Amino acid sequence: MESEVDGILVAAHELKAPLALIRQLAFAFEGANAKDEKIRSDMISVSERAIKQVNDLAKIRRLEDGLFEMEPVSVRAVCDDVSRELSYLFDYNRRDLFIKYSNRARLVTANRDLLYSVVYNFLLNAMHYSGEGTEAKLVVKDSSDYVRITVRDYGPTLPIDVWREMKRGWIEKPVSVAMRPGSSGLGLYIASMFSKYMNARVGAVRHRDGTSFFVELPISRQASLFV
Amino acid sequence: MIFVIDDDRMMAECIGRACKNFEVRVFGDAISAMEEISNGIMPSLVFLDILLDGPDGFTFLNEMASYSDTVKVPIVVVSSLDFTNKNLSNYGVVGVLNKDNMMPEDILAYAEKYS
Repeated sequence: MESEVDGILVAAHELKAPLALIRQLAFAFEGANAKDEKIRSDMISVSERAIKQVNDLAKIRRLEDGLFEMEPVSVRAVCDDVSRELSYLFDYNRRDLFIKYSNRARLVTANRDLLYSVVYNFLLNAMHYSGEGTEAKLVVKDSSDYVRITVRDYGPTLPIDVWREMKRGWIEKPVSVAMRPGSSGLGLYIASMFSKYMNARVGAVRHRDGTSFFVELPISRQASLFV
Repeated sequence: MIFVIDDDRMMAECIGRACKNFEVRVFGDAISAMEEISNGIMPSLVFLDILLDGPDGFTFLNEMASYSDTVKVPIVVVSSLDFTNKNLSNYGVVGVLNKDNMMPEDILAYAEKYS
């Protein structure tokens, strides 16, 4: 199992260079008209997303070195940044993104980049599996010890075996989700590994009309006193 | 004259293209670039990849820093490696561009500033 994951990580490393090149080639391509320009900007956007995913995979290998510093992080600021970055994709695919913050802007103990990737992967997943014209929901809520970020989609509900695996707080390797065609489970795996590193917990709630994925992050008590 | 050293020919050409009206020479390895310099062709600026076939980018940086006629040649490192918080200025490095997110304007800005 470990070598399977290792193979994925090696492949990710190998993909970095060609993806960066595709992005540069897209920049070099000068469209003669608006349609060409549109294709060009889509190529850039797609390659940037792929680079991000590949970089996330490469980071998994570095988690064991403990190089990602934990610090007080504003969940709201991270969620705002991610939703801003993905708003173009949501609009393009005619999905709405509903955001609700009901936390008291408390800080969590996390690594900002890793948390960004967790939220990014959840939202990308929700965008992908919610039907056209529907919405995905991003909700941030406090409890006494943690802040929970939930992303709700309106796609096929999560199979029970994947839900069971997530129940323990993290998943061991990418699992393709049969009821979600085209899913490799990679985004969930990345979110799960990053959350585990941050002592956070990922989980899922099954609905009759979709799935909610969540991550619970420990509140940074000392830093929150200053907010 | 701007030197671009990258073992990925297409990436090197992309960097060269971004330099627009500047004269650019592309090299696939550090040795051929160093030979060109020892033949008297002095670059005004070098865009340097680090992970190269043969001697790597750091070998090139050391070589450039060791000679009196090349020690002041500005070098921009272009790499997918993370150089955050790394100080490379002792090697004549005036900037670092990350291949994952660099823009053609970033490349051109260095060309305009140093060439």
